[in-house]
Amino acid sequence: MLRKLLISFWLLSLPGLAWAASQWVLEQSTLTYHVSHPLHQFDGVSHTAKGKGICADGECNFLIAVPVKSFDSGDSNRDLHMLQVTRGAQFPFVTVRTRLPESAATSATITLDLEVQFAGQTFEYKQVPFQRSVQGSETRITGTIPAKLPDFKIDPPTLLTMPIKNEIPVRVDMTWHPR
Amino acid sequence: MPLIVSVGLKPKRESGMVVDIAHVKRICFAGLAGACLIVMLDPSLMAQALGELTGTVTDPTGTPVAFAFVTTTNVETGRALPAATGMDGIYKFTLPSGNYRIKFESRGYETQEIPAANVAALSTVVENCVLEAVAQTQSSITADPAQKTAPSPSGKPAEPSLEDLGISPSQVKGNAREQALLDRRSHMLKMHQRLGLITIAPLGATLITSAFAGGRETSRASRDAHAALGTATEGVYLSTAYFAIRAPKLAGTKTRGPIRLHKTLAWIHGPGMILTPILGEMAFAQKSRGERVHGIASAHGPVAIVTAGAFGLAVASVSFKF
Repeated sequence: MLRKLLISFWLLSLPGLAWAASQWVLEQSTLTYHVSHPLHQFDGVSHTAKGKGICADGECNFLIAVPVKSFDSGDSNRDLHMLQVTRGAQFPFVTVRTRLPESAATSATITLDLEVQFAGQTFEYKQVPFQRSVQGSETRITGTIPAKLPDFKIDPPTLLTMPIKNEIPVRVDMTWHPR
Repeated sequence: MPLIVSVGLKPKRESGMVVDIAHVKRICFAGLAGACLIVMLDPSLMAQALGELTGTVTDPTGTPVAFAFVTTTNVETGRALPAATGMDGIYKFTLPSGNYRIKFESRGYETQEIPAANVAALSTVVENCVLEAVAQTQSSITADPAQKTAPSPSGKPAEPSLEDLGISPSQVKGNAREQALLDRRSHMLKMHQRLGLITIAPLGATLITSAFAGGRETSRASRDAHAALGTATEGVYLSTAYFAIRAPKLAGTKTRGPIRLHKTLAWIHGPGMILTPILGEMAFAQKSRGERVHGIASAHGPVAIVTAGAFGLAVASVSFKF
C-alpha cells in the first residue's frame, strides 16, 4: 500500500518537477492571427517563433520572438500589405515577454501577463488564460492573445476602401522542452 | 466630318484610312485625363511636397542611444508615425509639410517631447534630443530588448534576451529604406485599387450603351455617347494600370495566392483594353459611313465583353475568398 502511494506521489509530482527545470526552449510553435473584413476572413500563420524561459528563485521569465515577415496568409500581396501597416521592415520582430511563479505553472489553466512589443509599440495584456498540458517531457501551451490594432497604433488596412476589424486575435500553440 | 488620308494612288474612300477628328479629341482627352490622375496621385510626383525630419538621440554624455523610439505626430491630423534610431542614434522621417510633435522614448531614459517642429517642403529639419537617464524601475517602455540581459538588482539571473534566441542586433535593427519602399508600394496599390473601382462605373455604362450603339437603327448620338464613355473608361483604366505597374517590387517576393489570378487576368484585360477602342473606332467609322460593321471591326463587341469579364474577375479575385 505504502509503495503504491509513493509511486502515485512520484507520478503526480512529475509536471511540477518538469517546470522546476532551470531553462526552457521553445520546440515547436504555431502562431495564427485572424483578420475579419466585411468581404472575407483570413488567417496568417507563423511556425518560426523562437523562445526561451529561465527559471530561478521560484520565478520563470519567458521570451518569445517571431519575425513579422514569417506570417503567411496564403497571399503574397496581402502579406506585404500587412508587413507595411505593421511597420514590419522597421520593427522586424514581435516579442512577447512574460513571467510567472514556478508554483503557478503546474495547473491545467495558467493566466499570464504578457508584454508584447509589436510595430514599435509595447502593450501589456493582463491575465490572459492559457491551457497547459504535459506530454512526456514536453509542455504544450495553447491560448489566444486578444490583440487589437489600436493597441499598437496600427491603422486598419483596407480592401476596396473597407477597413478590417480592429480585433486581430492571435492563437498560440507552443511546445516547450526543458533543457 | 471625317478626314480621308489616301493610302493608294487613287483617293478612294474604301482604300483610305479614315481619321475622325472627334475620335482624336477623345483619345487626347483620355490621355490627358489619365495623365492628370497620375500627376495628382503618384507619390513620386508629389514628392516635391515632402520634407525631411532627422536628428540624433544621445544620452547626457553624448553617446548615441540606439533603438530609441521616435514618434512624430502631425499636429493638424493627429496621424502618428513611429520609427527607431539606428546604432548611431540617428532617426530620419520623410514627411508631408506641416507641424509635428516629436516624442523620444527609450528604456532607462526619461521620455522627451518636442511640441512643434515645422517641416517644410524640400527642406531638412534637424531636431536632436538628449535623453536623461532614470532609475531602471521607472522605465515602462522597452526599446532595446538586448538591454534586458543586465542582471536585476536583486541578483536574479538575467531575463532571456534576443541574443539568447540566436537573434543578432543586426536582425533586430529595422530597415527604414525597405519600410519606405513598402509605404510607397502600398500607397500606389491603394490608388490602383480605388481607380480600379472607379473604372467599373464608366465600364458598366459603356457596356450598357453598347446596346444602343451597335444595332441597325442606331443614331450618331448614341454611338457618340458609347464612344465617349469608352474613352473615359480607357483613361481611368490606364491610370489604374499605371499605379500597378509602377508600384515598387520587393526583391525575393514570390507571388502566391489569389493575387496570382489577379495578375494573370491583367494579361487578358490589358491587351483587351488596347484592342477594344481600336476595333471600336473601326466599327464607329464603318457605321458613320452607313456601312454594316464588318471585317475585324465586328470583333469589337466580343473583345469588349471578354475584356470587361476579365476585369470584373480580376476585381473579384482580390475581393472575395473563393
